[in-house]
Amino acid sequence: MTSPTNLLQGTLDLLILKSLALGELHGLGVSRRVEQLTRGTFEVGPGSLFPALHRLEGSGWLTSRWGVSENNRKAKFYRLSAAGRRQLDVETGQWKRIAVAISYALEAT
Amino acid sequence: MSLFSHVRTSVRNVADRSDVERELDAELRSYVDELTAEYIKAGATPDEARRAALIKVGGMEHVKDQVRDERPGMMFENAGRDLRHGVRLLRRSPGFAAIAIVTIALGIGATSAIFSVINTVALKPLPYPAADRLVFITSQFTKLGFDKFWISPPEYLELRERATSYSDIAAYVQSAVNVSEGTRPERANAVYVTANMFDVLGVRPRLGRPFTAEQDLPNSEPVVVLSDAIWRRTFGADQSIVGKQVEIQGRKRTVVGVAPPGLDLHDLHPQVWLPLGLDPTNHQNRGSHFLYLVARLKPDASAGKAESELRTLIHQWGMLNPGTHVPNDSTHRLQLAPLQTEVVGNVTRALWILQGAVILVLLIACANVANLLLVRAEGRHKEFAIRAALGAGRGRILRQFTAEGMVLTTVGAILGLAIAQWGLKLLLAANPESIPRSAEIAVDPHVVLFTLVVAVVTAAIFGLAPLLHLGEGVVAAAIKEGGTRSTHSAARHRVRRSLVGGEIALAVMLVVGAGLLIRSFRNLTTVDAGFDGNNLVTFGVYLPQPVYPEAQRRARFVADLAAKLQSIPGVQTAAVMTGLPPNRQVNANDTDLENVASGQDLPAHNIDYYQSASARYFETMKIPMLKGRGFTASDAGGPGVAVINEAMAKRFYGEGNPIGRRVRPMGPSDTLPWFTIVGVAKDVKQGGLDQKPGTELYFNIEQGPRINGYAPNAFNFVLRTTRPIEAITPAISNAVHSMDTGLPIIQLRTMNAVFGDSVSRQRFLSQLLSIFAGVALLLAAIGTYGVLSYLVTERRREIGIRVALGASSGGIVRLVLRQGLGLTLGGILLGVLGALGLARVTRSLLFGVSPNDPATYLFVAGVILGIALLACLIPAQRAMRVDPLVAIRDE
Repeated sequence: MTSPTNLLQGTLDLLILKSLALGELHGLGVSRRVEQLTRGTFEVGPGSLFPALHRLEGSGWLTSRWGVSENNRKAKFYRLSAAGRRQLDVETGQWKRIAVAISYALEAT
Repeated sequence: MSLFSHVRTSVRNVADRSDVERELDAELRSYVDELTAEYIKAGATPDEARRAALIKVGGMEHVKDQVRDERPGMMFENAGRDLRHGVRLLRRSPGFAAIAIVTIALGIGATSAIFSVINTVALKPLPYPAADRLVFITSQFTKLGFDKFWISPPEYLELRERATSYSDIAAYVQSAVNVSEGTRPERANAVYVTANMFDVLGVRPRLGRPFTAEQDLPNSEPVVVLSDAIWRRTFGADQSIVGKQVEIQGRKRTVVGVAPPGLDLHDLHPQVWLPLGLDPTNHQNRGSHFLYLVARLKPDASAGKAESELRTLIHQWGMLNPGTHVPNDSTHRLQLAPLQTEVVGNVTRALWILQGAVILVLLIACANVANLLLVRAEGRHKEFAIRAALGAGRGRILRQFTAEGMVLTTVGAILGLAIAQWGLKLLLAANPESIPRSAEIAVDPHVVLFTLVVAVVTAAIFGLAPLLHLGEGVVAAAIKEGGTRSTHSAARHRVRRSLVGGEIALAVMLVVGAGLLIRSFRNLTTVDAGFDGNNLVTFGVYLPQPVYPEAQRRARFVADLAAKLQSIPGVQTAAVMTGLPPNRQVNANDTDLENVASGQDLPAHNIDYYQSASARYFETMKIPMLKGRGFTASDAGGPGVAVINEAMAKRFYGEGNPIGRRVRPMGPSDTLPWFTIVGVAKDVKQGGLDQKPGTELYFNIEQGPRINGYAPNAFNFVLRTTRPIEAITPAISNAVHSMDTGLPIIQLRTMNAVFGDSVSRQRFLSQLLSIFAGVALLLAAIGTYGVLSYLVTERRREIGIRVALGASSGGIVRLVLRQGLGLTLGGILLGVLGALGLARVTRSLLFGVSPNDPATYLFVAGVILGIALLACLIPAQRAMRVDPLVAIRDE
């Protein structure tokens, strides 16, 4: 596994929202999905995952319910709310602008 | 949506805390389970998998705590926890909590009580609709030195006719009347007002209506508007009172209305409102000034515009009324001021000084409590270090400390509000007359708000003060210190010392102020009033014109009553006078002085006080005669005589002998009889104990009716007696009522009580300030003691080493004293400078003592030094007894 890369402030929220775009996931599921989406660059440990999930839920972007996992265990599943979907669009747009701007800056001679 | 969900989650987080916690626990456990399952799938044994999963999660509690911090509503949650923690801590040290709470309660209580008074008296508008539109118009006689003087009826009528800035101008005269109703006649405050007064004030009677302009004409049907208070007290709140007859001053009057509750005019507390009865066509007697004017500015007129209009009118007055007495720019000005300023003006400064004083007390109290908290902070130093090491942020620690201060201040504020309520009652009960608008004063929402602000600010001070030294390096330092008290604390000491130094400085300022006021008050009470006020009893009698129409009958009445009073056992002499010293209103009567030159640069022939007195007046009052003689019994049948006071002799006769010269009241004709001066009496204070005695001219009551057909209606009797007032009260009452059962006895009291009342405001101020100064002194002493004993405790080891190395006990005491006295002297110096800076503010309240009075300053510095020495001595003694072995081994 790659050495943990410091997540940019706010990036984690964006990644979590993105990971839930296809459907609901429980905590470990989110963590694994982020790893998968970033090809292993980002590993989200529980210490940052759960505070972020609760923060996003508090903001109304995620909703949660208790369900049964693929291993037949009780687990808390998170899904995007309508507001969360809008937020994902907003943040994606923002991120793209930043990414483009920064790559321009770095490629400038 | 987002806000709603935020609020909902917040509420849930706070309300169902245990549910939320259980859910979080379950969620984390399920995470571990899932992870374990994953590892098992990857080939690990269940035990290994579980172990690896737990390691991966790290500290479960740590994760939970981080989640908790993210939760909406956590701020309240934390605040609640901090508050509970604060309460627990305080309950563990009830002594500290009690001292701190009582200190804060006293500080806040006193501040709120005084602020309640200020709020009502100075800040709240007068209780009339649009009260800021009301102005008070007076005249000013620059040459005679009269400010805020009355205005004459023609001046009023002409001003009302010509001025355009006002919707209307009303006039009034203050008086007191006999109200005969039921068995006991009663003396009541009265105002004679023009019919438009109620409209100008913007009030309607609660029953009936105000009197009409027709009822306000001379010789019209007599009517009256009763106050709500007298209507309830004397007339049993009779709903059908309108139309009934009431006897006032021996004359039946028809009640046309009852004023709304609490309606007041210039703090006169009128019980009856009577028509003034000015003749609108009479423009005679232009020089007879006796009206005060209240005017309501038009909605579009500013006070400034009214003022400039007034100047223009004064300018034109002389052209419109040539050759007559009219207002002018130089000697007879008119002036206007907001009614509010006029009513409360002279007491506002005193109130703000009191407010300043209580705020100083509050500051001292805060400093003391901050110091107490600081001591606790020292004790909890290691606790902080551990908390910080375990991950508590500096903000978290700060909040926790503020919470403790919050709990203290909240409880203190609640208690303080109770103290304010109680203290206010006490204050008003003790000094009902010295504060204007006293009936309106109450602890009101503004005061509660004020207290809350004070409380929050105080809490912030308390919370932050102990943390001033809690810098970044605190954790490392505290752990390194390992629980020993070390030299690291220099910064902390600086904070504590400056707190105590500041306390002492504030206390010095307060005590100096109180000292100056006490000296002023003593000067006032020991001032030579010109007569011997001991063993004198006095009361007033008013003979209503309708019952006693003839001057001769009035003079006979008072002569007969004086004789009856004189025959009361234990009464040596009895006399009558018209004006009761020492707080008379100035008469300022124009007077003919035979063969006394007059002119621009010479004093105007105007006498400040007229006094009609009976033959035994000078003897009874023990007023020394400087020249000639006083009145005698034979004057009743003899030629017209007068006695003048020293001030009048000096002003008009200079070095010459006034005996034998003639004077008379100025009148319309030149044929009025003259009075020959037969004596010069020592000055009697008539215009206030703190004022210069004015010029005074005495006439003899007994001869007045025969010489110029004059006798007054209002009299003050004065008896010289060796018996206490209670012992002769029944006899006095019998004597008066044996002559007329309808006459109320007005204010029967000793002359010393009259004097006491005349300085009640000064007494009130000096008493209150003394109490505050005492509290400040006590608090400062406690503060000094606290700091020094703490320093001694902290230096125990050092002292132990010094003793072990051979320091003498005297040396140790000196060591402590030097520290304490340095602190005290610094504080005193600062305080003296502060007090000198405040001299400008206090000057106007002082009498016979300079605001920089060195004796007071020295005395105060000495007292405070003494108290500080005492406060140092106990810790010093403790330091002396330090056993080096114990001290060194101790830590």
